[in-house]
Amino acid sequence: MELSTLCTPSRLNAYLSRAEPINQVTTITSRVATRLLMVCGLLLATSACQQQDDSQVPNGLVYCSEGNPESFNPQIVTSGTTIDATSHQIYSRLIDDNTSSSEFLPALASSWTVSDDGLVYEFELRHGVKFHTTRFFTPSREMNADDVVFSFSRIIDTENPFHETAQRGFPFFDSIGFNKLIKQISKVDQYRVRFELNYPDASFLANMATDFAVVLSQEYAEQLLLQGTPQLLDTNAVGTGPYQLVEYVKNQYIRYRRNPDYWGEQPESEQLVFDITPRSTVRLSKLIVGDCSISALPKAGELQVAKQHDDLEVDSRPGMNVAYWALNTKKPPFDDVRVRQALAYAIDKRSLLNAVYHDTAVVAAGILPPSSWAFPDENVELQYNPAKAKSLLAAAGVKNLTIDIWAMPVARSYNPNPQKTAELIQADLKAVGIRVNIISFDWSVFTQRLASSNYDSVLIGWSADNSDPDNFFTPLLSCGSIQSHNNWANWCHKGFDTLLRQAKNITDEQERKVLYRAAEEIIGQEVPVIPLAYAQRMLLKRKNAPYVQLLPFGGIAFDKVSQPEPVGGRH
Amino acid sequence: MGRYLIRRLNLFLATTLALFIILFVATRWFPADLSYALSGVALPTTQQQLQIEQDYALHSNVISQFLAYVTERLSGNFGISVTSRQSVLNELAGVLPPSFELAFVAGIIALLCGIPLGMLSALSRSKMVQKTIMAATLTGYSIPVFWLGLLLSLWFGIELGLLPISGQINLLYQIPKVTGFMLFDTLLYNGDYKWNAFADVLAHIILPACTLAVLPFTVVVRITRAAMLNVMNQTYIRAAEARGLPYHTIVLKHALPNALIPLLKHLGLMLGPFASYAIVVEVIFSWPGVGAWLVSGIYQRDYTVIQAGIFAVALVIIFFSILIEVLYTAANPMSRKEMYGTN
Repeated sequence: MELSTLCTPSRLNAYLSRAEPINQVTTITSRVATRLLMVCGLLLATSACQQQDDSQVPNGLVYCSEGNPESFNPQIVTSGTTIDATSHQIYSRLIDDNTSSSEFLPALASSWTVSDDGLVYEFELRHGVKFHTTRFFTPSREMNADDVVFSFSRIIDTENPFHETAQRGFPFFDSIGFNKLIKQISKVDQYRVRFELNYPDASFLANMATDFAVVLSQEYAEQLLLQGTPQLLDTNAVGTGPYQLVEYVKNQYIRYRRNPDYWGEQPESEQLVFDITPRSTVRLSKLIVGDCSISALPKAGELQVAKQHDDLEVDSRPGMNVAYWALNTKKPPFDDVRVRQALAYAIDKRSLLNAVYHDTAVVAAGILPPSSWAFPDENVELQYNPAKAKSLLAAAGVKNLTIDIWAMPVARSYNPNPQKTAELIQADLKAVGIRVNIISFDWSVFTQRLASSNYDSVLIGWSADNSDPDNFFTPLLSCGSIQSHNNWANWCHKGFDTLLRQAKNITDEQERKVLYRAAEEIIGQEVPVIPLAYAQRMLLKRKNAPYVQLLPFGGIAFDKVSQPEPVGGRH
Repeated sequence: MGRYLIRRLNLFLATTLALFIILFVATRWFPADLSYALSGVALPTTQQQLQIEQDYALHSNVISQFLAYVTERLSGNFGISVTSRQSVLNELAGVLPPSFELAFVAGIIALLCGIPLGMLSALSRSKMVQKTIMAATLTGYSIPVFWLGLLLSLWFGIELGLLPISGQINLLYQIPKVTGFMLFDTLLYNGDYKWNAFADVLAHIILPACTLAVLPFTVVVRITRAAMLNVMNQTYIRAAEARGLPYHTIVLKHALPNALIPLLKHLGLMLGPFASYAIVVEVIFSWPGVGAWLVSGIYQRDYTVIQAGIFAVALVIIFFSILIEVLYTAANPMSRKEMYGTN
């Protein structure tokens, strides 16, 4: 057909009026379209099916952890997240806590002696312990006394080049006054170290068994110093623990590989991966889907969901911890004890416990949890009494008070939901005429920003580092701990400090218990902090996941961990 | 042509300059010390402090401060991350590829499914088919992405247990980073479990990519449909029909290429919403991309990360918008005269 003929309108109309061809177009197009659609569908389907056929993944264990570690050296932090990621995985200590008794277990030290006056401790070191061989460091010698001396003199010796690199100091050691306690640390011979103290301290061994008292490699430190990058000591970690650090990607994961030269029993999994998942609902769903086989810090409400899944189980044990609300006693109006008491009377801990912890915690009467041997027999708690709170506030002449409560948005072992806790306190305080602003930052910046600001009050808590009751008092409320930013109440009470010192210098448990009870009474009257709850420590895990050790004092240990079935398989 | 490209390049430079000005001003509003907000060094030594002040010309006037700021950023110095104390540029280089990968796969899904459906709805004579498709796309267009993402993970992940719902790969596979694109990296990886790892990556990308694809998919369907209806009424189609060409040739060779031109233009306009959807999707599916990185930076008050994240996302959008515009002009005979600078 000539183009010119087609262009006559009448013919064109006649042509177009024949409907079939258009229909044909439609069918062809739809066929093409359907085929294309089918292809995309198939592509998706095959990739999904492929996944189902193969559930083979490398041997290893994935743990859904709650946040980014601040560093890879427990010496310079106090946060549980960092401790979990480092202390028992990468490092070893001289001695370890025994989970079943108050004795200590040998770790890097095979034996130790204490002089009669309690002033000299001598540790005999284990032979044949090797540090990790990593991308950045190959050890040329085994661990010896030099490493131990270096690890601890770094903390107390201000001349040590690695003292400066810890920009925020050594919070735990500062809080227990380690630099005042230690007179000298010396190498007796290649495998023997002596600690000389200035005064006897009943908690010294307990402190040496804490997650913070890890042993670093002196050889590695010297290598870093030569390279001019001493700050890498705390990030590119080298230790003697069961796992060695391979890679850390912020917000994503920490990857560890089994240390083939580990001095203890070899862990069974070749790989350990921390899947960093700040939101607890996401942790739960990853656990259900099988992306991880163990998950940290479930919220109380999620336990119900976990119970509905047959392949999940809850692992819990009473925790050595306390959640409390610290009031900044340096700042008006909290410098007035009546205001602090009023706040203590104004909050209903029982309903708070129901909402935040469900049945996974007990109401805190004081700072010491019931699992401590020094737990007082009598209750010194201020009972919920809003009327009394109002009259105390009136007596203190405080009107129209607005306060800030700092509460972090992430779960901690002592408080699964600080935000909700803050909201409940907000409601309770509204009833007595106090307005509350809630301030919130992610954990890794929370304590830093808190330390640098003139805050009113903060919801925080403490997980014990060792079995000694002193660990709940000196690091948290002594005058010395104001400096190390652990005493969030900024509270310094001379009588209280004297009591703590007395209790540390004696070894008789009954006598110490009486002193700690007296200390609890002072806290009850002065209310620098309002204890809220003692939480159970909990883990969610898949039934096929192996035994994991929830350590009684904070951390988590994976050394005995192995994975019987591959974790990546979908169910 | 040359003049046209230069004009587009100028547009790119001008927009980037505006971006720099906004970021520069916004940085001064951060509730933090200026040298800290710029460098990310929380507790600088005296020497570091001097270096920062010198780098950013903090003691000079605003103009030289701005110039110093631009110079530092253009030479790749984005400071260090406040939380991880690592170079922000390195972190950025790590999070950009996963985002591109996700966006690319989502784009492919949207085009491969959207264009045929759009054609079908334009050419089908059945009211039923047309209305079903249009209803479906309208629904897809109106569904909030955060809700859809959660719903998909609930169904396919938790209840059916078919697909993984977070991350890019099962973390037990240790795949060395070569290109940063996980799909390629697993193919380049030569070790045990290579194909398992590749299948795992594919399975991980399905849900986020489908969620992200919903918005562009609906837009593609609607634009293709409108353009196709328009094109099919043009006289040259009638001419082709009159010449007796086979009808699939008419549709695929004559109509479709012309219908795709307005689609290209709309794709350019869609980049902004697409990027913000991508951020939401990345957060929902814990995708290790620039969006999730930026959001966590905001939560952690990581000022250097916030600046670099916004800068990168904005720059990518500006670049691709202009690129698409150039492609559009090159592909569209109607606007080709612009290339010679005559209008």
